[in-house]
Amino acid sequence: MALAPRDETITLAQLTADPYPIYRRLRSESPVLRVAAVGRTLLTKASLTKAVKDDPELFSSNDPATPMRPAFRAHTLMRKDGAEHMAERTAIAPALTPKRIQADWGPLYEKLAEEYISRLPRGGTVDLFKALCGPLAARILAHILGIPEATDDEMQRWSQALIDGAGNFGWAPEPFAASDRANDEMDALLERLRPLRIAEPDGSAYSVMLTAENPVPPSQIAATIKIAIGGGINEPRDALATALFGLLDNPGQLAEVKAQDAWGKAFEEAIRWVAPIQVSSRLVTRDTELGGCEIPAGDTVMTVQASACRDEELYENGEEFFVFRKKNPHQAFGNGPHHCAGAHVARRTVGKIILPMLFDRFPDMRLATREDVQWRGFGFRGPVNLPVALN
Amino acid sequence: MVKVTYVAHDGARVTVEAEPGESVMQAALSNDVEGIIGECGGAMMCATCHCYVDEAWEVGAGARAEGEEDMLEGAASEVTGRSRLSCQIKLAPELDGLVVHLPEEQL
Repeated sequence: MALAPRDETITLAQLTADPYPIYRRLRSESPVLRVAAVGRTLLTKASLTKAVKDDPELFSSNDPATPMRPAFRAHTLMRKDGAEHMAERTAIAPALTPKRIQADWGPLYEKLAEEYISRLPRGGTVDLFKALCGPLAARILAHILGIPEATDDEMQRWSQALIDGAGNFGWAPEPFAASDRANDEMDALLERLRPLRIAEPDGSAYSVMLTAENPVPPSQIAATIKIAIGGGINEPRDALATALFGLLDNPGQLAEVKAQDAWGKAFEEAIRWVAPIQVSSRLVTRDTELGGCEIPAGDTVMTVQASACRDEELYENGEEFFVFRKKNPHQAFGNGPHHCAGAHVARRTVGKIILPMLFDRFPDMRLATREDVQWRGFGFRGPVNLPVALN
Repeated sequence: MVKVTYVAHDGARVTVEAEPGESVMQAALSNDVEGIIGECGGAMMCATCHCYVDEAWEVGAGARAEGEEDMLEGAASEVTGRSRLSCQIKLAPELDGLVVHLPEEQL
């Protein structure tokens, strides 16, 4: 058996602009491919990405040597395995259950959505990405985490600084300087709020972790909150923007979604069509084989769930947005021990609250100019603007 | 082979044959049984493979695994004494004929 073929033609710029035609080609030509520009072995078939994430012993998340460590100034649960990961994950989990979200937080989320939607100006073109998707995702997350004292702008800036730092594989100084500033600000806020969240437990993630019977160390509580900030704004923001684009660009489907109250399905299809988190990395712990290629220990494989979500083996017309698929076993939330901890929150807030409310308040909204909507991103992906005519 | 019957929330029954060693979740997925999602693949991280073990099988299906109780807290539908994560029930010859009931929703 030979090593996976190596590609030197694919560029990061191409993957950032539009990776989907490349992924479609790779799925049929070379689903296991060492891509020089990325420095990783890309896996583009659903069976491969799933197999890797379902086997955390062979494909480890534990890679302390990534830029994530300086960006978060911590070795976070995202990059841990086994019992260590489990302990930190279990600590935050009670704040993210469907029951907690629905029973305790549902009314608050509805109120927040109502507030942000009702202040959208009528009678003109509004960039919903900037005016709604980002700020509302930030506000809801601030409440879930137990740091509502942070502003929408702070939440979004911190999130972006953490993401840019974590993706700083060129180890340039500026992104780390920005993430350092963000860390200082987040640390100061967490420090200030700690006694309050202990004195008056409120079911928020910070409060739940601080007041647990056997709390994880304070440094890890802070690290987990930061992971949630770094990974909890972009995704619902991009999922919402993608769902809005998909529905507005397909009026027939939108009418049917309204008729059937199928907002949850629309949400699932949006994140399948353009997965907000497109790729993940895993470290190979011993020599193995994937898709007929030799994979040596020490290699880093990249699961491309963006591609898995359009795999012809699972989907007919996977390149198209089509809400009413018979089955939609997408991998947008990942699988295995690192399955997205925010999945229930995202499904409920974006799918069950925000989408129906927005179309209820603005039943006639439409895309201003389809061609003006720009998409970007290799690691994270979504529209970066969404000009919509509101009336 | 081991037979498992899934009873949907509306009462519809589907019986499948599975390999010993497979979990009740995997058997559902590989046989296209609706009502079990199993999104995390059996890592006990998503609570989307929730089921209620039929009264007759309560003892046979065994006790909840370590950590299963906590994760069941994350289930979307009501959790009862017979609630299990189906990814944690491994099929064996003595479970031939197992019946599980599916909740109204998993998400």
